[in-house]
Amino acid sequence: MNVESQPLLRTSNLTVTFGRLVAVNDVSLEIYPGELVGLIGPNGAGKTTLFNAIIGLNRPASGAVFFKGVNVTNFLPHKICRLGMSRTFQVTRAFVHMSVEDAVRVGAYNRCNERNVRDKVDEVIAFCELNDIRKRVSSDVGLASLRRVELARALATDPDLLLLDEAGAGLNTTELSAFMNLLTQLNQDRRITLLVVEHVMRMVMGVCQRIFVLDAGSLIATGNPEQVSSNERVIEAYLGKRA
Amino acid sequence: MAETFVQSIITGVMMGAIYALIALGLSIIFGVMNVANFAHGEFVMISMYLTYLIGSTLVWDAVATPLITVPILFAFGFIAYYLLIDRTLRESYVVPLAVTVGLGIFLRSMALILWKAQPRALQYSIIQGNIHLGPYMILTSRLVAAIASVLFIAAFAYFLYKTWAGAAIRAASDDLDAASLMGVNYHRTYALTFAIGSALTAVAGGLLMSFQQTDPTGGSRFGLLSYAVVALAGLGSLPGLLIAGMIVAIAEALAMSFFDPRSRLLAIYLVFILILWLKPKGLFGRK
Amino acid sequence: MYLRRIFSIQNAAMLGVVIIAALVPLQLGNNQYNMVLATTVLLYAVLASAWNIIGGMAGQLDLAVGAFVGVGAFTSGTLLIRWDVTPWIGMPIGGLVAVGVAVLIGFPMFRFKIKEVWYALVSIALVEVMRVLFLMWGEVGGPTERYLPIDTWSWYHLRFNTYMPYYYILLVMLVIVLLVNRWIRDTKLGYSLLALGEDEDAVEVLGVDVRAAKLKALVIYAFIAGAVGGLYANIYGFIHPTVFSTDMSVEVMILGIVGGLGITYGPVTAAIVLVIIREYLRAKLGGELAGLYLMVYAVVLILVALYQPRGLVPLFNKGWERLKSYWGARQRERGIPTSIENK
Repeated sequence: MNVESQPLLRTSNLTVTFGRLVAVNDVSLEIYPGELVGLIGPNGAGKTTLFNAIIGLNRPASGAVFFKGVNVTNFLPHKICRLGMSRTFQVTRAFVHMSVEDAVRVGAYNRCNERNVRDKVDEVIAFCELNDIRKRVSSDVGLASLRRVELARALATDPDLLLLDEAGAGLNTTELSAFMNLLTQLNQDRRITLLVVEHVMRMVMGVCQRIFVLDAGSLIATGNPEQVSSNERVIEAYLGKRA
Repeated sequence: MAETFVQSIITGVMMGAIYALIALGLSIIFGVMNVANFAHGEFVMISMYLTYLIGSTLVWDAVATPLITVPILFAFGFIAYYLLIDRTLRESYVVPLAVTVGLGIFLRSMALILWKAQPRALQYSIIQGNIHLGPYMILTSRLVAAIASVLFIAAFAYFLYKTWAGAAIRAASDDLDAASLMGVNYHRTYALTFAIGSALTAVAGGLLMSFQQTDPTGGSRFGLLSYAVVALAGLGSLPGLLIAGMIVAIAEALAMSFFDPRSRLLAIYLVFILILWLKPKGLFGRK
Repeated sequence: MYLRRIFSIQNAAMLGVVIIAALVPLQLGNNQYNMVLATTVLLYAVLASAWNIIGGMAGQLDLAVGAFVGVGAFTSGTLLIRWDVTPWIGMPIGGLVAVGVAVLIGFPMFRFKIKEVWYALVSIALVEVMRVLFLMWGEVGGPTERYLPIDTWSWYHLRFNTYMPYYYILLVMLVIVLLVNRWIRDTKLGYSLLALGEDEDAVEVLGVDVRAAKLKALVIYAFIAGAVGGLYANIYGFIHPTVFSTDMSVEVMILGIVGGLGITYGPVTAAIVLVIIREYLRAKLGGELAGLYLMVYAVVLILVALYQPRGLVPLFNKGWERLKSYWGARQRERGIPTSIENK
């Protein structure tokens, strides 16, 4: 694992509120290039909100987000994507009426021009093993494949940092193993830094090098899988405080 | 000069209350269902024509007509919802909008064919005459209409916050999933909302007819001003709606007095664009 | 693979229609009424095909075409009346003025997180407002008609004693607009527009500048509408604030939706069918029931929106597909090999 001194992504006292509800509370974290980091926490902990704030879909009430050293706190998502960050969504948001390859192509235009966009699309589709369904309309595609489509779309933007939001949910054991391999491939072979929100513990413990734990909007623990799984506060958060 | 200014303010404040009532129906539909009823202005226009019909054939006073027109518009809204809107909500946002545009055009064309382009007005109602406050004149019927509007809005607030149906509507506007989990049937709530929104235009129509005339093209004007008021007020605040109504009405009155009588539409549009540019959530909006 | 796309059935069909359309005036020549009808069909076909870019591809309900056409008409017409500027220059300038108006409206409305419905409202109100504005603006507009110079046959002034030249100009414009439609579809703009019509948030995260894409679509469409407006002034021979027509806006929108949102040849098809129906109704009923056609349009719109939101043209496609598979099945019965379709 090659870790450079400058973090790829850094949040500094990030706070996101909805009216009086504090969804993300003073979160400061750092992610270095090449890492595969997990973000876990009980339901409602604020993981998706944190993602949205990082990628620019939600405006934080206070605090800042730095990507590649640039303060992207109030940037629009497309500008952040241009810089090299992309994400997938928890509830797959497919382009319902578009075909798989057209959807991927939308993402590919982020870095490609008209001349090489088709090659990029072919390459990403091959990598995500979507060749047999590439011409199918997205509404016609099964859930597991839809996940791969969503990943392919984000991958086509040529990101340096990819945020995956519960991409492993609802997959059976074989699909999950395949997905875990895919993640490792993305991280090791393609050198993409990954921040992964997950509930499927097997996946998190299996592939993540480092894990952040969020509870009720606050960061309560960081560390490698062993450290985190034996952390008292983490256990409390998931199982509820002992009486 | 100063007199004209103050007179405009006075007129504006009164009209503002009425505009707020017109916009109220739209505000709840928009707030709850996120559907902009393009035909809203036409609903008001139709209410006014119905009022005219009832007033001239049954010789009722304009202010009594809502007794009949409100149930009619309520039923109409209910049916319109199930027939037209319910099915299209699932599609892209363009489709329900286009449907309401179609409805508006349909109503306007129908009014043109039935009643031609001449404006219609009712014989003066029992509320007649003017009140004089120094150099300023207040049309009594307009004052009564304004007061009635405020009362109606207050009554509606009561409905919204103190009844179960009102709570269902508020819940649906805040969080649809949670609301349906609580047993709120969203189809029925939406239908109810649309029906109430439509019924409110009947009240406004009746009040307006006590001192104005109606013509088939009035719909677009009422539509525009409803939207301007809703945009200015933002969603979620009833007092805000009143204030927004008054701001729009005052702007309109000032433009007509100081600039050009034909410019009423321009003034409203200017307010509309400005607020969308500067404060898209409205002055008092919660969402 | 590219060749195959150029020679698709749809393109071939449309080419056929264009050729037929080019021959129509030679057949109708002397029948002034039918020439007017044909010209009106083309006019709406051009406008609806341009509208397709913002309404169909970008998925924004736009009702401002009346404003753009009007502004183009007044620009080109005024330039002609006052300074004898040929509409060949006036039309593009009218297009540019329309673009200016469009950007003024679109820039604030297309910001991220602003509900799309506000643009629709602003656009329909814009037409009415422009009408009142030009009614009040005595210098350029005012309540009386301003007549364009009358010529029997002038290419400079673009005035003729017959509709035929206008017809051909519009035909050329239609081909251009259709080509523009096709071209957009194959480029980044097209993909961005189609995707943002599906899910704006998801598309932003993929690097698409939603506002810029919508503005580009709006600008292209507004320019075309404004240019057509210039021609419109010449066809009718005068300019008057009634050229700012919400009816026109609604009709163009209906054509776009009924034809099929985003389908290139949809609006043209819808224009041919609906405009002919409209003129037929106007002629048959006339007088006081003239407004009836608008009611019919409204009903058609509602029916299409309810039951076939993807438009009517896809129905034709489905019918065609059925025919093909039926034919294929018959061939197979007879033991004749059919071509391998790529599915």
